[in-house]
Amino acid sequence: MGWVKGTVADVRQMKDGWRWGRRPQVPRSAEPFVPAPSPNVYPNEWSRTPAAMLAREVVQKVGLEPVFRSQVRVRAEGLDVLDRIDGPVIFAANHASHLDTPLILLSLPDAWRRRTAVAAAADYFFDTWWRAVGSSLIFNTMPIDRRGGTLAATPGEVLADGWSLVIYPEGTRSKDGWMRGFRMGAAYLAVEHGVPIVPVAHRGTFAAMPKGASWPRRGRPQLTVRFGDPIRPADGESVRAFAPRVHDAVARLLDEEQTDWYSSLRRSADDATPDPAGPDVAQWRRVWESTQPPEADPGRVRAWR
Amino acid sequence: MTRPGFVLEVDDRTPPLLVQEGLGFRLEDFPQGTRVVYPPESLPAIDDVEGAIRDALLHPVDSEPLPELLFPGMRLTIAIDDLSLPLPTMKAPDIRGRILEQVLTMAAEKGVDDVEIVAALALHRRMTAAELKHVVGERVFRSFYPQGKLYNHDAEDRDNLLHVGLTDKGEDVEINKRAATSDLLIYVNVNLVAMDGGHKSVGIGLASYKSIRHHHNAKTMVHSRSFMDHKHSEMHSSAWRMGRLIGENVKVFQIETTLNNDVFPKPYDFLMKREWEWSIKDQASALAMRRGLALAPQKLRHKMFHDLRGNYGLTGIQAGAVEPVHELTVQKVHQQQRVKIEGQSDIAIFGVPYLGPYNVASSMNPILAACMGLGYYFNSYLRQPVVREGGVAILYHPLDEGFNTLHHPSYVDFYEEVLAESTDPHVIGPKFEQQFAHDPWYIHLYRTSHAYHGVHPFYMWYWTAHALDHLGDVIWVGGDRGAAARMGHRAASTLQDALEMASATVGSSPSITYLHNPPHLLADVR
Repeated sequence: MGWVKGTVADVRQMKDGWRWGRRPQVPRSAEPFVPAPSPNVYPNEWSRTPAAMLAREVVQKVGLEPVFRSQVRVRAEGLDVLDRIDGPVIFAANHASHLDTPLILLSLPDAWRRRTAVAAAADYFFDTWWRAVGSSLIFNTMPIDRRGGTLAATPGEVLADGWSLVIYPEGTRSKDGWMRGFRMGAAYLAVEHGVPIVPVAHRGTFAAMPKGASWPRRGRPQLTVRFGDPIRPADGESVRAFAPRVHDAVARLLDEEQTDWYSSLRRSADDATPDPAGPDVAQWRRVWESTQPPEADPGRVRAWR
Repeated sequence: MTRPGFVLEVDDRTPPLLVQEGLGFRLEDFPQGTRVVYPPESLPAIDDVEGAIRDALLHPVDSEPLPELLFPGMRLTIAIDDLSLPLPTMKAPDIRGRILEQVLTMAAEKGVDDVEIVAALALHRRMTAAELKHVVGERVFRSFYPQGKLYNHDAEDRDNLLHVGLTDKGEDVEINKRAATSDLLIYVNVNLVAMDGGHKSVGIGLASYKSIRHHHNAKTMVHSRSFMDHKHSEMHSSAWRMGRLIGENVKVFQIETTLNNDVFPKPYDFLMKREWEWSIKDQASALAMRRGLALAPQKLRHKMFHDLRGNYGLTGIQAGAVEPVHELTVQKVHQQQRVKIEGQSDIAIFGVPYLGPYNVASSMNPILAACMGLGYYFNSYLRQPVVREGGVAILYHPLDEGFNTLHHPSYVDFYEEVLAESTDPHVIGPKFEQQFAHDPWYIHLYRTSHAYHGVHPFYMWYWTAHALDHLGDVIWVGGDRGAAARMGHRAASTLQDALEMASATVGSSPSITYLHNPPHLLADVR
């Protein structure tokens, strides 16, 4: 093999092997031996200044939105709930893909979108300066402490400044499209700071771009997002009591997505909402079911079937 | 915190894995399901090395403190491990030099005048003055070498050998006379792997052919399972019998040291990292090195690799009576190198690197490459071999370095004449060994030049006896076909071809284990 050919082969092998341009993966059997991530977190208070907001407006409207809409189809429901409340709120959503954040942000009315930050894992999005700058500028992320680390601004301070927050209480993206258990963070912030939680349920992002993929699959896959009625902690309600209500609200929205509003309410009242963690069946069947594309518009009568 | 060794199972997320092959390396895409054994990460080194040495000498195991063993007018001999340890050569100052300085300081304080330092090289090549200086340090070298008090052991100097006696199994024990007749013999060792040290230090390092032939033969080697487990190694049992007999005649004060796995200096440290953790810089280094090596002529590649000096940090030092000291040493070695593996596999894969104990500043000729792969790496196990009986060993080495006629003259004849006739260690030993061992020209070169003893290639071949007895097939990936065939093995261009060839022996879906070595590891196969 000539030297040039050998070089091309080597570069190609390394490019594929180490996933250049994407996050490196750890072999499954090596996962228990991965060292703890660096506690270094890059600050991003600057990203909530007027100048950064202006820059983000340009990036989102000129860059992100056209690209996003060219790659996926979106159906957003329930946005009317936002007309009935004032911010700040916490949007608590299920989490299956990196598409979730642009889906939720770009579905929000502009006024809400401009004042909404996204809680993002400090160890994942803020471990290098370029990731911190990129995610802050495009998605208005703010670091939250998932595994330990020193944070400059807390989510409470951001809420107090009048910013709404998108939080994924599962803590990480789903591996099979089904919803995992919720952590207490969102409920804690709601109770502590007296802000309502708007449950958000979306479908289709796992099928479009699951964990490990870096771009939505071809064919403009359909995504849906549904915003539910805000829920507030009752007077004296503990975090431990409130957290399951947040979970149930998202579960009911997912049910509503599959059926209709009234049926999901009835089922919820009967405590018969389908478990969002999915059926206890073989892994492939779970993935199979969770990758069924949502219908573009279930109410529309199609001329051609 | 040092991460333990572990067994990786190759899956779709695994990047290509590094395999050493002579004066280079390749990145190999192993079949999914291949087990890859990674040694524990380098243990933290002792910060206060001088303090640790002093502590070991003043508080030895089962022995009086060293100063109490020293007295004016005594004959003191200090033996040191030769340049075959550690691999690669340690960055200066070598640990042996640091120990020697403290030992000699104590000896000077006690008024000891008659001191000689001997490199215990058995039938290895003589070290050059520069090599001796690197090991012992400038002060020791300047004080002893010009007076002829720092020298290489000569296993053919009949005037300076003493037949100590016979073991209960009738084995001759003949060692360096100066050492055997000293009031105190201090041995300074570097215990790089589990097979080093113990009674092997004096019993073999300072011995003659007459003594060594009792355990360096095909029959003993086949029953050494493995060399890395001295309690189950016939060769070590023999050395232990000899060592005990020596101990009855001369007081031996053994100093053993263990090193961590910090083998390669920067910017070559990526060679020791787990591939999926390679940074952009590591990837760039690997790519640049591979492309540079592809362009570089053999001489330059040789220089590049052989000029590397290990960073090695000290993880332990023990001194005192040979056997209890060695038990502590082996524990330390295990702590750094042992990895538990569940069960054997059909195929074992070893990447033979540019360096073994017998080609420091020299060429890795095909016999040494075979010894490295089938002797050292195959035997890097406890309990049972990594590969099942009748399985296949796949080795990586180009087998194209040729022979260094300064260091390995008898290897050329062994390769051309002996291996051409038979590759069976049990056949070639009785038929040819004596002729090579007593050849006056080889003996002359061993004594006056820097040649390995005439019999040395036989020993290398005996090292492989256990593997050859155990394995169904040996395949060299990227190896020279002629060289592989001469050794009774086969060559393949790629791993895929090698697996195809192995399928005749182990079927088309074999279990595979790759020992990711170096850095050094010891597979504890359950």
